[in-house]
Amino acid sequence: MACAWAVAGCGAGQRGEEAGAAAEAFVAALAEGDGAAACGLLSPEAVEQVVSQEGKDCEAAVLALGLPAEASGTAEVWGDRAQVKTGSDVLFLAELEDGWKVVAAGCAPQGERPYECEVEG
Amino acid sequence: MRKALRDNGLSIGFGLLFLAALVGQAFAGQADFNDRQLAEAGRQVTLVQYVTSSDFAVDVAENWQSEYLQFFLYVFATVWLVQRGSPESKLVGKTGTESDEEQKLGEYTTEDSPAWARAGGWRTAVFSRSLGAVMGALFVLSWLAQSIAGRSAYNAERLAQLQDPLSWLGYVGSADFWNRTLQNWQSEFLAIGSIVVVSIYLRQRGSPESKPVGDPHDTTQDSG
Repeated sequence: MACAWAVAGCGAGQRGEEAGAAAEAFVAALAEGDGAAACGLLSPEAVEQVVSQEGKDCEAAVLALGLPAEASGTAEVWGDRAQVKTGSDVLFLAELEDGWKVVAAGCAPQGERPYECEVEG
Repeated sequence: MRKALRDNGLSIGFGLLFLAALVGQAFAGQADFNDRQLAEAGRQVTLVQYVTSSDFAVDVAENWQSEYLQFFLYVFATVWLVQRGSPESKLVGKTGTESDEEQKLGEYTTEDSPAWARAGGWRTAVFSRSLGAVMGALFVLSWLAQSIAGRSAYNAERLAQLQDPLSWLGYVGSADFWNRTLQNWQSEFLAIGSIVVVSIYLRQRGSPESKPVGDPHDTTQDSG
């Protein structure tokens, strides 16, 4: 927890590994077609957005989005937020009460403007 | 004990005010941070988590650096710049580092002069600039701390807004860093300029920051 709120970033440390592991578990669940596991790694707001966008329950909706499912890369952690870049996707995570959760996935850069993401909660 | 309190009232008084304000800032800052966390669907933080966060550190450091810059510049500027009529200024015509006699150096040192003032050579050279140098060093360290903590806090904000984080150099060239820096600098420069000019014409009886109440407006370097 000390590193969690340290002044300097500690992306390469334990919290970076934890965020990276959450992202990796998310893309692994997508690759295996395990919608329930993927939904369990989304933030509550992201679940709401996926359900409302696809008009299905989360388990089916998250798989229907066709999100990239490559093995995840390293995480950069700042405060309670993290970014994980994979070969074909950028994921954003937040550290919530029950651990790291994906808040945005399927993200494409828009220059100086924020990423546009298929999942964005 | 009572004598120690009386003899050090100014430093003790301002030390206590500093601590009280810092504690107040911690509570207000935590409430503000948690409000923003609600808006960004982040988790709430405890007071201990907040006071060890980069958000708290940058808010503290950005104010510290500007205060130390203020005193650093003031200490140096008043060697060379004067203001006729201001008790904050030395006498017009005395600009510069002054003679050894005026500064009680060399053959003009006394028995109770500080050891490094009497030592001569590099020790006296260092001691002669130590006030400005320490203020300058504290300014640089605080500004560096602001840049490191500010980058951390700003990058967390950028990630929450789905933007890429910045490198340290990227942050030091960013609008956030310079907005935080300059909004503090302008207020410090205004405060110094104000006390220098206003103290020409106004008085505060008994304050060393003021001239004696009966002194004419064009009297410089006199306090009471």
